[in-house]
Amino acid sequence: MSFLEVFQYTRQDSIVHRLDPRAKLLLSIVLAVISLLFLEIFPLLIIICVLIPMMTAAKSLKRWLRSMKGLSILLVFILIFNTLLSTYPNPLNYSIALILRLIALMTSFSIFFLTVPPDELSQALIQMRVKFEFAFAMSMAMRYVPTLGQEAYAIMDTQKARGVELDKGNILTRIRNIVPIIVPLIIVSIRRALSIAESMESRGFGASKNRTYMEKLSFQKRDWAVCIISLVVLIIVIYIRLNIPLPDWSIPF
Amino acid sequence: MPLVELNDFSFKYYGAESLALKKIDLTIEEGEYVVITGPSGCGKTTLCRTINALVPQFHRGYISGNVIIDGKNTREHTVAELSSIAGLVFQEPENQLVTLNVEKEIAFGPENLGVEPSEIRRRVEEIIQLLDIEHLREKHPHEMSGGEQQRVAMAATLALKPKILVADEPTSNLDPQSAEVILDIISSLNKRDMTVILVEHRLDLVSKDASRIVLMDKGRIVADGPPREILAQDICQEIGIGVPKATLVYKRLKEQHGIDLGSIPLTGDELAGLVKEASS
Repeated sequence: MSFLEVFQYTRQDSIVHRLDPRAKLLLSIVLAVISLLFLEIFPLLIIICVLIPMMTAAKSLKRWLRSMKGLSILLVFILIFNTLLSTYPNPLNYSIALILRLIALMTSFSIFFLTVPPDELSQALIQMRVKFEFAFAMSMAMRYVPTLGQEAYAIMDTQKARGVELDKGNILTRIRNIVPIIVPLIIVSIRRALSIAESMESRGFGASKNRTYMEKLSFQKRDWAVCIISLVVLIIVIYIRLNIPLPDWSIPF
Repeated sequence: MPLVELNDFSFKYYGAESLALKKIDLTIEEGEYVVITGPSGCGKTTLCRTINALVPQFHRGYISGNVIIDGKNTREHTVAELSSIAGLVFQEPENQLVTLNVEKEIAFGPENLGVEPSEIRRRVEEIIQLLDIEHLREKHPHEMSGGEQQRVAMAATLALKPKILVADEPTSNLDPQSAEVILDIISSLNKRDMTVILVEHRLDLVSKDASRIVLMDKGRIVADGPPREILAQDICQEIGIGVPKATLVYKRLKEQHGIDLGSIPLTGDELAGLVKEASS
């Protein structure tokens, strides 16, 4: 699953990281839409050639390459099966285009997820008029994932020490073996939730209708520039798609 | 007017068999450093919860009597209204950190109450200075040790500018060194005119700073007074609380060997001083 790394936030100080998350969201969506507009090798290659410098600007090219390496098995599968089973006139050409489109789509979204810290994401949601409670629930879920993971490991160790053989037997016994892990995990989590609620309550959670925020996100000139350029490019690309026939360069297989 | 006033207060949690607190009468004045101690299940935690109205507003149950905190009856005021009067620090640090970095954590309370952003920023900086947690500023809760987490939890509570700091066994999950750091912070806050109510088992660490010890057992207050008086009483050993070793030595010398050292020591240093005085 190493190809998912490209969707995981990494702390870096780069120009892309400093952009406003809302601008990055728009940029990612525009890039994804453009990737979806084409199914020819040549324009998709251009898109990827635009995306790679962006990844470099985000200081994450290495990570991206590693993810793509992890993805390569899946890509080979897509290539083989599509080439063999597709009914298109040039199946190899079509499969390569599909692969390029997948890479372009993943990279477009990874620009967003790789560079937006979770707390900025929730702040962006709040400023996009999502209710505070929902945005906060999301950021809290992210906060407690590692804690829950740790707890799950502790419970697994405890149960192993008591003689539960977690990795033995056929699929049915293995599924049954999950029960002694899940049940305590749920109980512990409910208790933890109560204790967290108590602490949040003591600090006035939900007390004021007009909750303030220490730091609000604000659009800088560069954020506006990113938005405007994205939209202009999108319009131009849609115009090209609709009105200008693309040259018929394709691999004749 | 006392800051904390419990009048004949009893409480039973819904579904519980017996009363958690039985007819508690307690007044605490401004500037006091009160240590509450007693065996597990004696009602210490419930007592802490009454002070910021978690009991009866968050934990429902049967109540009688009244709790008046800084002139406000907890039956009529919400936890949020009392959050800037009494700040609670809990046992489990992990469960008190709900945001993704330390700055956000400290800002969380004031943000909830709708404090001006510039004022929140000022408080955050002040508290980071006060508790010396500059190096933790950008950290995720998961990247910190238990002691650091507890320090941040305390910072987050202090950001509400409470008059009373209530700490419910803040050191029970910490190693001795981090525990001492936390207790030092608490006693220095008390010297800055903060009223402190602390639940603690390690009496050898806190009794020298405390102005008063409240001893609880089975939902009742069984003894209440200055540390030296309380810790010398036999009831402490009967209930089974951790009386400082120095005090125990003093008692044994007096009762079994007939040697009276004159005054009751709380720490090893004090005991050494007294013995030196007596032998010279």
